Amino acid sequence: MADNENIVKLVRGVEGLVTLSHVFVRINQLIDDPDSSMADVAKAVSQDPSFTVRLLRVANSSFYGLSSSIDTVDKAVSVIGTGRIRSLALSMSVASSFAGLPNDLVAMDNFWRHSLYCAVIARILARKTGKCDPEAVFTAGLLHDIGELVIFNRLPEQAKEALLRVLDSVDDLPIFEAERQVLGFDHAQVGAELVRQWNLPPLLMECIGHHHSIGEALDYPHEVALVHIANIFAQMAEIDTLDPEDVSAIDLRAWVMFGMGADLDIIEDVVREAQEEIVELEKLFIDNAPEKSAAN
Amino acid sequence: MRPKNLRPINTSMAIPTIPRPPLVLPGFEHVRRNWNQTYESYAARLLPGEYYVTIHDEGVYTTLGSCISACIRDRVSGVGGMNHFMLPASADADGWKSTSLSAATRYGNFAMEHLINVILKNGGQRQNLEVKLFGGGRILANMTDIGMRNITFARDYLATEGLRVTAEDVGDIYPRMVVYFPATGKVRVKRLRSLHNNVIVEEETRYLSAIESKPVGGDIELF
Repeated sequence: MADNENIVKLVRGVEGLVTLSHVFVRINQLIDDPDSSMADVAKAVSQDPSFTVRLLRVANSSFYGLSSSIDTVDKAVSVIGTGRIRSLALSMSVASSFAGLPNDLVAMDNFWRHSLYCAVIARILARKTGKCDPEAVFTAGLLHDIGELVIFNRLPEQAKEALLRVLDSVDDLPIFEAERQVLGFDHAQVGAELVRQWNLPPLLMECIGHHHSIGEALDYPHEVALVHIANIFAQMAEIDTLDPEDVSAIDLRAWVMFGMGADLDIIEDVVREAQEEIVELEKLFIDNAPEKSAAN
Repeated sequence: MRPKNLRPINTSMAIPTIPRPPLVLPGFEHVRRNWNQTYESYAARLLPGEYYVTIHDEGVYTTLGSCISACIRDRVSGVGGMNHFMLPASADADGWKSTSLSAATRYGNFAMEHLINVILKNGGQRQNLEVKLFGGGRILANMTDIGMRNITFARDYLATEGLRVTAEDVGDIYPRMVVYFPATGKVRVKRLRSLHNNVIVEEETRYLSAIESKPVGGDIELF
């Protein structure tokens, strides 16, 4: 398919500009290696002092709400668990990984704030519904729009044209539709391709690739639906509204999947909780992102 | 060969009927209008520095960063419209302050007067006018609050003219999309995501440098 080829080529073009942190890659390898132990993971973490400091900060923050204090990497790895450490390492390094992809269209702090809102809300919803792994959807939420950064960096003229179309439309044209009109593909597809080339878990690929097309999810329909809802709630948190009319519509199939309706009480609870958490989480997950590389 | 006589039938079935746009008042032919499915109506798209008045049931819409839009209508006859402007910002710096401040104000006066005069010229009555005010957001944290300057100007102007503001959504940190229907006075204001900040700022900056490079004085048409 021609579109697909274009997407693959586009993502190949950023190879070398976006690199996952060394510590994440190492942790990832160790966890997949049946012969490795928790101690090996802890050792890999310890070799990156700045990551170690940030990991301990997150471990002791309200993010996990752990009662005992975590003062060593060994303890962090055993209490949090290697699976969650892997998600965490990816989440903590993703913002700085994209420093090599600056753009003039959106300020990085604004971009990551939306992503982080989506992550936090996906996590809250996962806990409420009990159907998805909260840590996995947190990471998926944080990464859901990364294709946007590739498009903004590689195809700035077309990306701007898409943004202008959204502003020109009274009919609430969503950005992914505008991208399809201008480019023939959208940021969800680009993000999924990036994650595929990085060999990240299929759950992430599906959530990123289908957060605007939940009907096409194959193996992780619940996670995809959750990130879809979280993305819209994130828009509400961002512009500080509780009125669903103010943002893009939520695909009703997403609610059905969790046996819920678009209940206004749920919206209020979740949006308010996310708004309370965001300030601290920005420090934990985004602060190290080099904002200077953003437009200005 | 395909029978040619079938084509007209096919076309009429495929394309939903969109009515013709209502007649445009003289002077507004350049404003782009398009059909909007949501409102089943035409709507005129204003760019910074433009304004639009209509006597028909159609919409006017725009996106605002730190710019401001006054929506004004005669609530009896329904004639009305919208402007979109900001004050030239060169004022605050130095000894020229008083001069450039009055120049800036003069620019704002033009923007308001044009809108009101065209409404009155098309049958609006001053005592029937109702005003709604939108915009003036502070969408870049590191900028001086030029949005507030625009809000203050518009409020002062309207107070001086004795025109009542019946609704407003101004200030704060969000860009906005405003859709206004002068015939009914109905308005929809939507906050826009920060994803759109830079594009809006760029558009407004281009407009600002255009108005600042033009001499202000006499009867120069600033729109």
